[in-house]
Amino acid sequence: MTQQQEKLSAFMDGEAEDDKIIDAIKHDAELQAKWQRYHVIRGTMRKEASVAPEMDITASIAAALADEPAIVAPKESRWRSIPIIGNVVPFATQSGQFAVAASVALAVILGVQHLNQPAPSEPFMTAPTAGPQGGLAPVSLEQTRTLPRNDMNEVLEKKRKINALIADHEQQIKLKQVQAEEEEKASDDTNRP
Amino acid sequence: MRCNQFVLLITGALSIFTPFCVHAQSRDSSLPTSLESNSLESNNQAKSATESATERETKTDTVKQTEPALERETNALQTPAQWLQRLQSLISSANYQVSFVQTTVGKETVPYLWRHGVLDDGTEVEQLNLQNGPGRELIRVDGIVSVFEPDTQPYSIRSRFINGPIPNILLHNPQKLLESYEFVLVGRARVAGRSAQQIRIVSRDNTRFGYQLWLDEESGMLLKLNMLDLQGALLEQIQISAFSVMASPSPYFARINPSSLPEPIMMASSQSRAHGWEVNYLPVGMKEVKRDTRRLALTGQVVEYKMYSDGLVDVSVYVQPIEDALGGDIALRNEVSTFLTLKAGKAQVTVLGEIPLQTAKAIATSISAVNNSND
Repeated sequence: MTQQQEKLSAFMDGEAEDDKIIDAIKHDAELQAKWQRYHVIRGTMRKEASVAPEMDITASIAAALADEPAIVAPKESRWRSIPIIGNVVPFATQSGQFAVAASVALAVILGVQHLNQPAPSEPFMTAPTAGPQGGLAPVSLEQTRTLPRNDMNEVLEKKRKINALIADHEQQIKLKQVQAEEEEKASDDTNRP
Repeated sequence: MRCNQFVLLITGALSIFTPFCVHAQSRDSSLPTSLESNSLESNNQAKSATESATERETKTDTVKQTEPALERETNALQTPAQWLQRLQSLISSANYQVSFVQTTVGKETVPYLWRHGVLDDGTEVEQLNLQNGPGRELIRVDGIVSVFEPDTQPYSIRSRFINGPIPNILLHNPQKLLESYEFVLVGRARVAGRSAQQIRIVSRDNTRFGYQLWLDEESGMLLKLNMLDLQGALLEQIQISAFSVMASPSPYFARINPSSLPEPIMMASSQSRAHGWEVNYLPVGMKEVKRDTRRLALTGQVVEYKMYSDGLVDVSVYVQPIEDALGGDIALRNEVSTFLTLKAGKAQVTVLGEIPLQTAKAIATSISAVNNSND
C-alpha cells in the first residue's frame, strides 16, 4: 500500500516509471480518493483558486440559500425598540446571500493553513465559571472538512451565526466613530477655541 | 540641509532615523512650508480660472511654470510627517472634487465622487456619492453627517468625518498612527498622470496589513492607496482618477438646505457590565475602545464584546457561551477582514477585523479569565 502511495505521489509529480499506477488508480477507490485529496492539498498550497473537489459545497449552499430568504431578515419586532439598529441594519442585507456562500469556500481553504500549527496550551475560562475548562483546540483541516454536507440546516445555522457576527462587527465600526465624536464633542465644548 | 540629504540616502533602508530628522528639521522647515502654501494657493486660482475643458493642457502648463517652485517644495518636504501634514491641511481646508474607485479582491470596482468645500461663513461641507447602482449619498455639514440610502429612511449622525472607503484617520489625523505604524518615503512615481511621492506605511511589529500611499507632488492630494497583506499581495486599492482643487466650493453645496436634512440620532449610551475575561496580547499601538454586553441584531444571541483599534483598523472580540455559538473552530476571510472563531472550554471566542490570520489567532489565544470580584 505504501508502495502504491509512493507511486501515486511520483505520478502526480510526473515521475512515474510505468503506467501501472494508472490502472491501479482506476480500480482502487481508496487510491482515487487519495488522488483527489492530493490535488486539493496541492491546489491549496499553491493558492490556486480552483479547489475543485470542495467547490460542490459552495454550489449546494448557494442553492439552499436561494430558497432561504429569512436568514438575513432582522427580527423587526424585537429590535425596533433600540433606535439605532433599526436604521443602520441595511448593510447586513447588502452582504446577504452571496457573501454567505463565498465565505464557506474560503473557510475550507484557510483551514488548511492551520494544519501544522502547534496546539495552544494556555487554559481558558470565562466569567461565571471558576477553574480551567479545557484548552483551545487548533483550527485544523479535519474540522473544516467535516462541515456536514448533507445536513443543510446545520450549515445554514452556522452561516447565520457567522453572518450575525460579521454584521455586528461592521455595525460596531460605524457606531464607534459616532460615539468617539460625541465624547470628543462633550470635551471639546469646554475647550474649543 | 545636511540632514535632508542624509534622509534621502537612507530612507529606504534605515527609516528608524527619520523621526530624529523630523525634529531637527521642524525649525528650518517652517519658512518653506509657508512659501509653499502661498504658491499652492496661486496654483489653485490659476486652475479654477481655466475650466475643465482646457484643464488638462493648462495643468501641464502650470506644472511647467512652477517647476522651480516645485523643486523648492519637494526639498521642503523631506519627511513623511510633512507630507501627511500637507495632506491633512489640504483635506480639511481646500475646496476640491475628487473621483476615485475602490477595488477589493474578489469584488467589483466601486466608483465614488467626493467633494469638499469651505463656505463663506466657515462651514465645512463634504459629500460622498456612490456612483453605481441606486447609489448612496453622504452629506456632511460641519459635525453632522446625513446618510441617504435606497430602501432606508434618511438619517443623520454626529460625526466630523464621512466614513468612506479612505480611512479617516489617514486624512484627518495621520500623526495618531505614528505609535502603531512607521511611515517611510519610498520614491517618486507617476500616478493618475501626475508625479507623485510614494509613502509606505508598515505596522511597527509587522502584525497588521501594510499600506502604500501616493501623494500628488504639486497639491499634496492623495492619488492612490493600496492595502497589502504580509506577503505583499494587494487586498484593496483606492485609485483617484481625476481631481481638481478649486478657489470656491462646488455649486452643488449651494443647493443643500441644512434645515431639510434629518435630525441627528441620539446614541444610547451603552451600559457596561464587567467581563470575566481579558485579552492579554495586542499588536503595538492597539487599545481597547469599547466594551459591552449585547445581543446580536440578526440572531439575538448574547455576546460579551470588546473592540480594539489602532486608529486604522478595528478588531472585534466576541465571547459567547458555547451552546449558542458555532461550536467549532473556523477561520475565514470576508473581503479583507479575517474571521476566526475558536472553542475555548465553555466559551466561544471570535476575533474579527482587517488583520492577518496569525494576528487574529494570537489575540484569540491570549484571552484569559480575570477575577473581577472587586468591580
